[in-house]
Amino acid sequence: MDDVIKPFGDGFVTALAPEFVLVIGLFTLMIVPNLGDAKFRIPLTQVRIPWLFGGKRGTLDSDPRLPGIFASLFFVMAFILAAVSFIGGMETKTIASGTNELLKVDEFSRLFELIFYGALALASIASIDRLPATSRKDRSVSGLYNNRRQVDFYILLITCGLGMSVVALAQDLFLLFIGLELASFSTYVLVAFMKETKEGSEAGMKYFIVGSVASGVGLYGLSLLYLWSGSLQFEELTAHFNATGMDPLPLTALGMLLVGFGFKVSAAPFHFAAPDAYAGAPGPVAGVLATASKAMGIVGLLRILLVVAAPEGMEDSTTVWLIALAVLSVITMTWGNIAALGSTNPKRMLAYSSVAHAGYMLAAITAIGALNWDAAHADTSRTAALAVVTALMFHLVVLVCFKLGAFLVLSLLESENGGHTLESLGGLVKREPFLAVAMFIFMMSLAGVPPLAGFLSKLLVIMGIVKAALIESTASGNVTFSEIHWVWYLALIMVINSAISVFYYLRVGLVMFFNEPEEGREGPLPRGTSVRLAIVACVASTIYFGVGAGQLIALCESAANALLGVR
Amino acid sequence: MTTGIDWISIPLVGLPLISSIVLLIFIGNMSAAAREKLGPSIRMVSLIVSFIMLGVTTMMFFGQMDNMGDWATLNFGSFNFEHRYEWIEALGIHWSVGMDALSFPMVWLTTFLLPITIVATWNEKNASVYFPLILMMGGALIGVFVALDLFMFYVFWELTLIPMFFLILKWGGKDRKYASQKFFIYTFTASVVMLLGLVTMYFLQPESSGPLFGTWTGRTFDIPTLISHSQAANANGMWFLGESMQKVLFVMLMIGFLVKLPSVPFHTWLPDAHVQAPTGGSMLLAGVMLKMGAYGMFRLPLAMFPHAAEFFQFWLLALGMVSLVWGAVVCLGQTNLKKMVAYSSVSHMGVILIGIATMQPLGWAAALFMMFAHGIISPMLFAVCGAFKHHYHSMEIGAMRGMAKHSPWLATSMMFAWMASLGLPLLAGFVAELMMFLALWHFLAAENWSVFWMVGPAFVLAITAAYYLWSMQRTIFEGGDETQPPASLHGEPVPDIADSEKISMVIMAAFTILFGVMPWIALDMMNGWTVAFFEQLLIPILNGGV
Repeated sequence: MDDVIKPFGDGFVTALAPEFVLVIGLFTLMIVPNLGDAKFRIPLTQVRIPWLFGGKRGTLDSDPRLPGIFASLFFVMAFILAAVSFIGGMETKTIASGTNELLKVDEFSRLFELIFYGALALASIASIDRLPATSRKDRSVSGLYNNRRQVDFYILLITCGLGMSVVALAQDLFLLFIGLELASFSTYVLVAFMKETKEGSEAGMKYFIVGSVASGVGLYGLSLLYLWSGSLQFEELTAHFNATGMDPLPLTALGMLLVGFGFKVSAAPFHFAAPDAYAGAPGPVAGVLATASKAMGIVGLLRILLVVAAPEGMEDSTTVWLIALAVLSVITMTWGNIAALGSTNPKRMLAYSSVAHAGYMLAAITAIGALNWDAAHADTSRTAALAVVTALMFHLVVLVCFKLGAFLVLSLLESENGGHTLESLGGLVKREPFLAVAMFIFMMSLAGVPPLAGFLSKLLVIMGIVKAALIESTASGNVTFSEIHWVWYLALIMVINSAISVFYYLRVGLVMFFNEPEEGREGPLPRGTSVRLAIVACVASTIYFGVGAGQLIALCESAANALLGVR
Repeated sequence: MTTGIDWISIPLVGLPLISSIVLLIFIGNMSAAAREKLGPSIRMVSLIVSFIMLGVTTMMFFGQMDNMGDWATLNFGSFNFEHRYEWIEALGIHWSVGMDALSFPMVWLTTFLLPITIVATWNEKNASVYFPLILMMGGALIGVFVALDLFMFYVFWELTLIPMFFLILKWGGKDRKYASQKFFIYTFTASVVMLLGLVTMYFLQPESSGPLFGTWTGRTFDIPTLISHSQAANANGMWFLGESMQKVLFVMLMIGFLVKLPSVPFHTWLPDAHVQAPTGGSMLLAGVMLKMGAYGMFRLPLAMFPHAAEFFQFWLLALGMVSLVWGAVVCLGQTNLKKMVAYSSVSHMGVILIGIATMQPLGWAAALFMMFAHGIISPMLFAVCGAFKHHYHSMEIGAMRGMAKHSPWLATSMMFAWMASLGLPLLAGFVAELMMFLALWHFLAAENWSVFWMVGPAFVLAITAAYYLWSMQRTIFEGGDETQPPASLHGEPVPDIADSEKISMVIMAAFTILFGVMPWIALDMMNGWTVAFFEQLLIPILNGGV
């Protein structure tokens, strides 16, 4: 049986070890760069005792790269701690105060933590050399100030990670929302972090305004749910929904929550801020937005749609959100792809491709809604739902490898004077063949070309949808085409969309391999060992998860089981 | 399942893929000058690798390996050198390889063309990247032919696009950017439709458990298992997966294969890709890559959906006829030598489609032999075109006159290749065309179809002769001022083709004659496979419930 732990009771710290590591990291980041030789004079005496805060800083702790190195270390440590808990079978631990379940540590939340920490670790490693920093010999005020910005950046990354893990762990809608807001507020600032460029401030402003409106709508939906059920616990909400699901009040609330989370996964029509935000944000941050932040939105959607408004519980076995989500997914993927065709800024293009990917994931969730939960089909439906959620998890995990990797390559380009056009990628193969090949691998993986991870994730999503569409048909053996559930056509629209998407992914390759370098960009790219290391990690995992994905799929399956088994 | 050394995965698929990737990584870290310097040694390494592969397949042909059955008498559904390894257990995906008499000629052809391509394009620029890409192409192509797992089949099917995309992009002609993009997007679009068909079929198959089946899907991607399933389900007039579903899946799969073949409404990527591709790319593209389409048809839809194939027989025949006639008619209007050859490929692929559509053993054997013969002849055609481009800087028909005097080797090669392609008796192409005609006659008589179906092919014979002779006459024979070199040379001395080109031309010509005079060398095993297919699968099914 699950271990139930009281907050700050026995085993609390070990259960939440990765989060505590991050909290320690937060304080370390605040303290370490401020250590100096300051002395404190005891009043009325001449005795000075070393106080260490402030004063003249040493050579080591005034290094502008120090916060980045620390943050990366803490992220990697949190990642390893989260990964270690998988070894030898996960122990499910629930943190509850009284009868209220607050947080739950299981395969599902741990896998999402791996996604978050992995993405954030890569982003923070990649940022070590990339943020504006002044030479450490420069002790002027502006120089010091510049170097302090490093600390702010990584503190925000860490709070972002903390918020995200709360979202993954939460068993209570309110707690989930708090985590979401913590992460969101960090990202608003991170997006605007490049205040030297006007795109940065504009992006941050837009992202903040649209994001807070979406959060506000979601919060209103939350309050309506509370009004209706008197509790925001997932378990109680589920029970309530199963009893009186079709009431207008919870349906309105559900729609509003969909807006809130739809913004996070950048689903159309709530995606308008995403391209601006991605284009203006520093490359690694945009990568985090497109991977970890999106995964966070998906957690919310999964909890709301599959756990709370679970299709399984509906009496007449029709899911309330089925049509709405299907329409949303088709609009999202088509809009994303068509808009990406026309964008000339590679980061905007990746943002729109991210919108398209959100559409694919929504289509997968839709397929679960189409399942038939009557007694004859419940077992096959359960396996189909499992397959779909597994596919989603797999997609989110591998997205970190290639989407973030693509943003990291772009971040190298933007650190040499902007780089906001596709032409900036021109001649990359001549300037640095490794980066061009890496970018091409990322693009092909995004397009879904085998044997890369992106192909497998797309295949798994298609397989999940097709399986869900066919469960009523396979029971009998002989099928007529018209009997197939209409969600099959979502898979068709999806493959057509991914064929469209090849066009713009391939265009990046063409520019890199074909065009001459842009004027002023002939020389070698800016240095930065850490970014390149992060890119190598991304390439290696993109290829590895495409060829040897067996273990990862098993991991995702156990996570999906943990989510769906709750019911 | 045979035991012993995995002669397919290790030397035929793994070796070229891994060696090419290793070479490319090795090269990637070097300066441009160092790369230039290493070019010849990398070319030599690639040549040696391709010779090893050719040696292995040739030994396989002569039956010199352990644990192998005779190609011609292999049962339907049994494979030589079958090996299977766990890949993704949850979904029933295996690395599963094996060869039968359908795939073996194609594999041999690939290994045969690899060294020839390398030799024929010996002086290609940027050698240190070009030759590894050719090797990678070869490994991916062989992977398609030996895959006995749908997932693996699809992976290699798409993997072939990447080296070809780069070959066109980096070594192609003036419009290479457009052509490579069109090639990639066109075939990718068709493939994803096919993929959805494959996935749908995957989930429609009955659930089961066993080592071949996915642990949590209960289904398999294993091609032989799927075929034996479908064989049982298709018996007694039943339709595997139900009538409408079988038709829909047949169409979805055929879209993927017809685009690759290509058949007429989907052929427009081919001329662009060919004209822009470098010689080596064209040789592999026309020689082997187009055959992937026909191979896929035999391997999957025709074996699994025979009822649907019978239902769509008329459409297949019509598509084949249109490809045959349209390809040939368009050839008449071409002024670019390579474009003409590309369209003639479309026409020849029409022959394959007609052979398939007859649903006669003879027609299928004709299609198989056409795949093989065209795989030897068309690389020679493209090698000739490439030689024109390389030495005369022009492929315009009529820009060069009286080439026979200036460069007898090139003229002779051209004449030979052109004759072989238009179907001169005693050359390989003739055998296939003759068989196709006989099969078509037989089919029309047996089914009481109108004899007017014969008009198209007969008409095409004349057109084919016309465009080939016409282009030849205007290029290497009379006309113009024979004492003057062509204008495209800008006064440079007139060269003949290089020794490396001569060698490759002679080898291809020799094999064209060999398979023209003694077609049974390859035809025996194709016949064996076709007869086994008909006897054990098609006839029981199609005559079963009627």
